[in-house]
Amino acid sequence: MSESVFSGSNSGFARWRKFKDKAAAVGITAGGSSVLGAILLIFFYLLYEIMPLFQSAELQQQQQHEQIGSSAATLHLAVEEQAEVGFRLAADGSYVFFRLESGEQLLNGELPLPAGTTISSFSIDSETNRIFTVGLDDGRLLIAKHHYKISYPNDKRLITPVMEYPYGTGPIRLSRHALQRIAVRDTDEALVAVAYTATNKLEGRRWVKEEDFLSEEITLVEEELNLPDLDIKPERLLLGPDQRWLYALAQKGQYRLINVGDEEIVDAGVLFDNASLADARFLLGGVSLLISTSKGVTSQWFNVNTEGVTHLHKIRSFSNDNAAIMTVSPEHRRKGFVTVNQAGQLDLYHSTAQRHLASEELGQVVTRMAISPRANALLMEAEDGKLLVWSVENEHPEISWSVLWEKVWYESYPEPDYTWQSSASNNDFEPKYSFAPLAFGTLKAAFYAMIIAAPLAICGAIYTAYFMAPAMRRKVKPLIELMEALPTVILGFLAGLWLAPFVEKHLPAVFSIFLFLPVSVLAFAWCWNFLPMKWRKHIPDGWHPLLLAPVIVGTVALCVWLSAPVELWLFEGDMRSWLTADLGISFDQRNSLVVGIAMGFAVIPTIFSIAEDAIFSVPKHLSYGSLALGATPWQTLVGVVMPTASPGIFSALMIGMGRAVGETMIVLMATGNTPVMDMNIFEGMRTLAANIAVEIGETEVDSSHYRVLFLAAFVLFLFTFVVNTAAEIIRQRLRNRYGNL
Amino acid sequence: MAADAPQTRTHAIKMDSLGRSGGNKSLSNEDIALTVDDLSLYYGDKQALYNIEMKIPHKRVTAFIGPSGCGKSTLLRCFNRMNDLVDGCKIEGKIHLDGNNIYEKGVDAAALRRNVGMVFQKPNPFPKSIYENVAYGLRIQGINKKRVLDEAVERSLRGAALWDEVKDRLQDNALGMSGGQQQRLVIARTIAVEPEVLLLDEPASALDPISTLKIEELIYELKSKYTIVIVTHNMQQAARVSDYTAFMYMGKLVEFGDTDTLFTNPTKKQTEDYITGRYG
Repeated sequence: MSESVFSGSNSGFARWRKFKDKAAAVGITAGGSSVLGAILLIFFYLLYEIMPLFQSAELQQQQQHEQIGSSAATLHLAVEEQAEVGFRLAADGSYVFFRLESGEQLLNGELPLPAGTTISSFSIDSETNRIFTVGLDDGRLLIAKHHYKISYPNDKRLITPVMEYPYGTGPIRLSRHALQRIAVRDTDEALVAVAYTATNKLEGRRWVKEEDFLSEEITLVEEELNLPDLDIKPERLLLGPDQRWLYALAQKGQYRLINVGDEEIVDAGVLFDNASLADARFLLGGVSLLISTSKGVTSQWFNVNTEGVTHLHKIRSFSNDNAAIMTVSPEHRRKGFVTVNQAGQLDLYHSTAQRHLASEELGQVVTRMAISPRANALLMEAEDGKLLVWSVENEHPEISWSVLWEKVWYESYPEPDYTWQSSASNNDFEPKYSFAPLAFGTLKAAFYAMIIAAPLAICGAIYTAYFMAPAMRRKVKPLIELMEALPTVILGFLAGLWLAPFVEKHLPAVFSIFLFLPVSVLAFAWCWNFLPMKWRKHIPDGWHPLLLAPVIVGTVALCVWLSAPVELWLFEGDMRSWLTADLGISFDQRNSLVVGIAMGFAVIPTIFSIAEDAIFSVPKHLSYGSLALGATPWQTLVGVVMPTASPGIFSALMIGMGRAVGETMIVLMATGNTPVMDMNIFEGMRTLAANIAVEIGETEVDSSHYRVLFLAAFVLFLFTFVVNTAAEIIRQRLRNRYGNL
Repeated sequence: MAADAPQTRTHAIKMDSLGRSGGNKSLSNEDIALTVDDLSLYYGDKQALYNIEMKIPHKRVTAFIGPSGCGKSTLLRCFNRMNDLVDGCKIEGKIHLDGNNIYEKGVDAAALRRNVGMVFQKPNPFPKSIYENVAYGLRIQGINKKRVLDEAVERSLRGAALWDEVKDRLQDNALGMSGGQQQRLVIARTIAVEPEVLLLDEPASALDPISTLKIEELIYELKSKYTIVIVTHNMQQAARVSDYTAFMYMGKLVEFGDTDTLFTNPTKKQTEDYITGRYG
């Protein structure tokens, strides 16, 4: 068969053309796919960064050792920073440091107890400073500190444990009677010790540290504390790190809150009913108490001050099983804690996040427990004296749905609240990761920007596309679109450094401009109708906006010029203080009004450009059809042009909205970035985007805070995704309705 | 008025005898609807129409023919002042509608256009329902009573021979109709406001032959009520539907007379050249 006509020639040109076709097809497909791929990659990268936030903890048994050291009961267990060395203090005053891995004893010793005395009580200052106190039966106490020296002989880390006595090896006298319960806190200013003695009295002393300014030598000045009598027998005595609040907890749940400074009981009550106290510890920071009961419940309590009265308040509680809690142990650097119950079950919790992170059957009953400072190891003592070493994998316990989006009762807050405060200067700070104020700020900024931008941009687009003389339109449109090229950092800079003070200084002017600008434009248009035809015909149709320019400039100038007199006349010279004092509206210099104006300015070109194109591209034959029926231009606009252009106008608004939501620099520079939840136009906000920009540079890589910022980015991503998808669906519907033109 | 329009059309019309009552017509016997008096039109510096003088008879079909760019559509648009919308357009001269100069100062173009309806080359229904398309002209006059609108919509759709095809889907989007239906809808929309004059600017040029036939039938029926001016490229169409024909060339009116005479016995050589297909 002869070659078909359609098989194509094999000439060089035909092959070249075929190649170009193919290359174009491949190139365009590759380009499009890589755009989609890039978006997906961003999505997956964000997911990859935030996934660890939602993982639960993992526990694994590492070692099990027979009893190490004295056979006396254990007073205290601890683990050193690197989780290499363990520490056990026994009730007979002997202590031992040992390797967690091998059980090898590194250092054995005895506390220098005076002859004839025994330990009658024990207290630790805090997990972090490793200071502990033993109370003796002769009314004296001994303060010691287990410490670890690190050296690197032969480039290998060597941890050498030592026992230190910061107040000397000689016991300090607190009372004449045996110290049955003791609580000691040591700070830079003073050492405070309180004890419940064998005479059923509270006795306390404060040793104020006075530094000699020449020799820098510290001398202790002893003061007697005159503590009130207790009507309960305290099972636990806990003293807060501010050396002010003393908590006395009885076996049956009664508590007394004592103000050590004022030496009086400020609150009394009951922690729980029908149970007995199993353990009570401070959560990191010493603000919250963790109270565990024989019913298996661990609850968090802290002091709440309402109307000047301080009382202990139950914040939240955690329970997993009904078995009695044996011991509770707080983490050293986070607001997490671990409980072990009588059934041998270990539970890992985070207090702020209200998360139950892990639960593990230990297979034996544990009586004592210590968490390593990095919260990556657990040292536990079983009933029979065996020591268990477990490893913990618990990177990000702080984040949960309730932390992000619900009201959380943070420590020292009078009530649950939405708060974003990701860092503070102290280490025992409770991070507050609520997205609610950020999301609110984002929407607030977008709202005020759109309030200003949308009417101006749409009305401008309508006039430019439909009424303006073509020659003028050709100049106006590119000019407005040029505004879009303005870097937002410059807009933000101008808004923050020039506009914000200007608005503050000329508040009446700002309001009168909003009021009188439209009025003056309409008044001018109305007067125009009464001008003689002779004058009017000099201005061709569609060039009238030029006449408005002096009117607008004049009105603005007049408003600014009259601002000060009006302020003097109506607001006693200071509208700002009038707002605050008479209306109760607080005023920030960098507020939503400034952001609305600056961001509105940034959003106007976007909305204007797309909406103008949409209106202008409504086919002329449609508007002619309407005009030919005797409709006025205005009727044609409203009846035919606007409905036909509505998909485009809608798109314009949504894209403008998307821009306003994602805008970073303007909000960053023109607001105070305060994460408040308040619709007040005179207060600032912090948006999701600005928050990421502010904090990402200061956060530790892979920390929870870092990942939370990625989560914020992810929320922003989802938000724009949802809005854009909804917008696209609506636009498609409109287009189907008004399409096929 | 339109209520007595034929409700259905079942017979084909013989095109060669369409609407013409013989060759012995004369303009002098007709009532005159529109008088064009020394009309010149400029687009910027360019002159598009030169001193047009013309009388368009009442309730007759007048066709404008001529090669592309001869100014026939421009002239048509002068009758409802659609040229006002063209940037840089200037008009000298007068056009009288029932004795009133429509270019008089103070004439409301919108009111004029209500009386002088226009149908464009490309069907341009609004992106609304069929019902709303027809009702649009009344709504912009401030008529919103449902009973009045219902009545007008039915009357106009019957008048445009479209009622039977769309009466069950009046709320459907007009953009779903065929091109021919859309053009008849536009005619229905135009006659809904009961104009005196109907201007048709190549109304069938974008349509298939069957739709064209329907439009031509419609024109024949409408002329009992309206003065119709039609611009067409198609000389057969002009011959079929019109009573009078104007031949224009290069912005000038070359010849105007009753259709039979102009086609069979043109007085000007240019006309003869055009209708015999020597140019255009």
